[in-house]
Amino acid sequence: MSHLVVGPNWPARIAVAGLAAIALVLAVALAVSVGEMPIPLSVALKALGNGLFDLGFPVGAIQQGVIFEYRLSRALMAALCGGALALSGAILQALLRNPLAEPYILGVSAGASTGAVCVMILGLGGATLGVSGGAFLGSVAALGLVGLLAAGAGGASDRVILAGVAGSQLFNAATATIVTTLASAEQARGVMFWLLGNFGGVRWPDLWVAAPVALAGFVICMVHAKALDAFAFGADAAASLGIAVTRVRLVLLATTALLTATMVAIVGTVGFVGLVIPHAARFLVGPGHARLLPACLVIGAVFMILADVLSRILVPQQILPIGVVTALVGAPAFAIILHRARRKA
Amino acid sequence: MFRTNSSNLRRSLRAGLLALGLLAGLGLPEAGMAGTTYPLTLENCGAKVVINHAPQRVVSIGQAQTEILYALGLGDRVVASALWFSPVAKPYEAVNAKVKRLADNDPSFEAVVGQEPDLVVAMYEWHIGPNGIIGKRSRFDAVKVPVYVSPTDCVGKDNSGAGDGVRTQMYTTELLYRNIREFGAIFDVSDRAETLIAELKAREAAAVRAVAGLKAKNLSMAVWFSSKDIKGDAFLAGKNGVPAYLMAEIGARNIITTEEEWPLVGWETIAASNPDVLVLVKMDRRRFPADAIEAKLNFLKTDPVASQLAAVKNNRIVIVDVGATRPGMDTVDGLEAIATAVQGFGLSH
Repeated sequence: MSHLVVGPNWPARIAVAGLAAIALVLAVALAVSVGEMPIPLSVALKALGNGLFDLGFPVGAIQQGVIFEYRLSRALMAALCGGALALSGAILQALLRNPLAEPYILGVSAGASTGAVCVMILGLGGATLGVSGGAFLGSVAALGLVGLLAAGAGGASDRVILAGVAGSQLFNAATATIVTTLASAEQARGVMFWLLGNFGGVRWPDLWVAAPVALAGFVICMVHAKALDAFAFGADAAASLGIAVTRVRLVLLATTALLTATMVAIVGTVGFVGLVIPHAARFLVGPGHARLLPACLVIGAVFMILADVLSRILVPQQILPIGVVTALVGAPAFAIILHRARRKA
Repeated sequence: MFRTNSSNLRRSLRAGLLALGLLAGLGLPEAGMAGTTYPLTLENCGAKVVINHAPQRVVSIGQAQTEILYALGLGDRVVASALWFSPVAKPYEAVNAKVKRLADNDPSFEAVVGQEPDLVVAMYEWHIGPNGIIGKRSRFDAVKVPVYVSPTDCVGKDNSGAGDGVRTQMYTTELLYRNIREFGAIFDVSDRAETLIAELKAREAAAVRAVAGLKAKNLSMAVWFSSKDIKGDAFLAGKNGVPAYLMAEIGARNIITTEEEWPLVGWETIAASNPDVLVLVKMDRRRFPADAIEAKLNFLKTDPVASQLAAVKNNRIVIVDVGATRPGMDTVDGLEAIATAVQGFGLSH
């Protein structure tokens, strides 16, 4: 395994951070300049100038809207979502000491679908709540239940995973029951489709929700980087190092859960990013969380931006669900991880 | 903005015309219209169906099929119905009130055969067909109940995948007329079937004639069904479905060229084609936020890109009922609505 050598020397750190920033900017630039509508780069830059700094360049209203309102907001949302999911995956893999842990393991996705269905089919909360609000509340409800189950079972990491499985199954069953008994012929065929991740509906107001949540989550995780390193040797070892195991675990589980629930509510479920990116990041920078977490954030962001670009251009005229694209990359990677996990076992 | 609320009027007219036709034909079999000889053998969706006598107890799964039976004056033979997308059309309210409704959506196999039908008619192969959720045909063969599935759902259409299927050939109302004609043969009411077909064909021809000048215009059009997220990608009519047929008939060009029935299309793609006319689908369904017509209109007015489209700026928006986008007699209503609207926009001269 080759690690990028980042010593305690600041110039090197700054250089790596600079590289990461450049990669992000390039990915966003690509996302803004690529799409079904052919727009010259010069026009795209003017549209960005108009949108960001009100420079008043003469740009057609449709082109201005496509560049600034559609492509840029979408690329930034993909970055936030990819970063948040990869970060959550890394935290959960450390806390639960399981290389196959991923952001949806605590029932967030199952809860979100139940919440969304309650709004869509039962009409609960109606217009005030909206489908996204319903999905968020459903996620939180599922997390609460999984938390209670896990705590009741003693809270060991394998119990947390089992509680997540039980909670997910329960909420999936609730969703299926509502759909099969109450939905109309067409509703039943489309509800699960909503959950497939999709950046098509993203606009700037969504970013004002997602950005603070993602950044706050990142800061909280970074504060606990040392504690996460200690968790690698198990909860007892962490406790003997003076870490308040229960408190740290609770804070971090809640953080990842809220990160994931926010992203599910805004863009739906996107598989594999939270599972695979942390492993890719470990290949690059090693297992130390002080470096791993920022690496997850950047790699997750870049990966998701590129996946979204692919989803927009792979099939002319049509949008591929982003989950399909991430899975195309993620499934083989998942197989490799499984294989490695088996070798270790 | 052009709204169509005239479909019920047309349906009343249709029922009236039909009644006249029936009265005229009472006891006087039309010349050249021989009665059905049983047993009647039909090729239906890749299967051979044998009808031994004019069915008296029919279970009808699919609103369009049920309404065709009512239009043919066969309401008294329908013992039960299922799969309703919208309220029954006005002229058939009285007859429909007497018919048992097994389910708003998908009835179970036992619920269907429990009615002891001597014929089951279905609208879609995903109900009764190779992947039928009610059952495969063989299941009905085992209890000796013949099944008739609408040719509109299997001729030139591949239902082997998931979803709404893929049309490999463009839908045409000829498939609907074949369906009506075969009902005529099955129930020995061919004269009524031909009267109904003639009436629908005349209306189609009149609508097409009214916009005869459109072909030369290269008018572009898109039909927006709904969206999973009001601001998100939209389900637009693909190149071969019912809406595509309507556009082709009036001489407009569908901006979408993929074979899927309702592909998911990004608004950037729609903006890139910038259609001259947008057709919005009105429905009672409330699965997605964009199902409501008000939500669609509000999005078009407020979205920074969609509000700049030529169709929106020039108010060239047509609203059609969801029935117009599905195979059935309502297709003709949809054709008339779009043709009338395009005339109103002053685009057909």
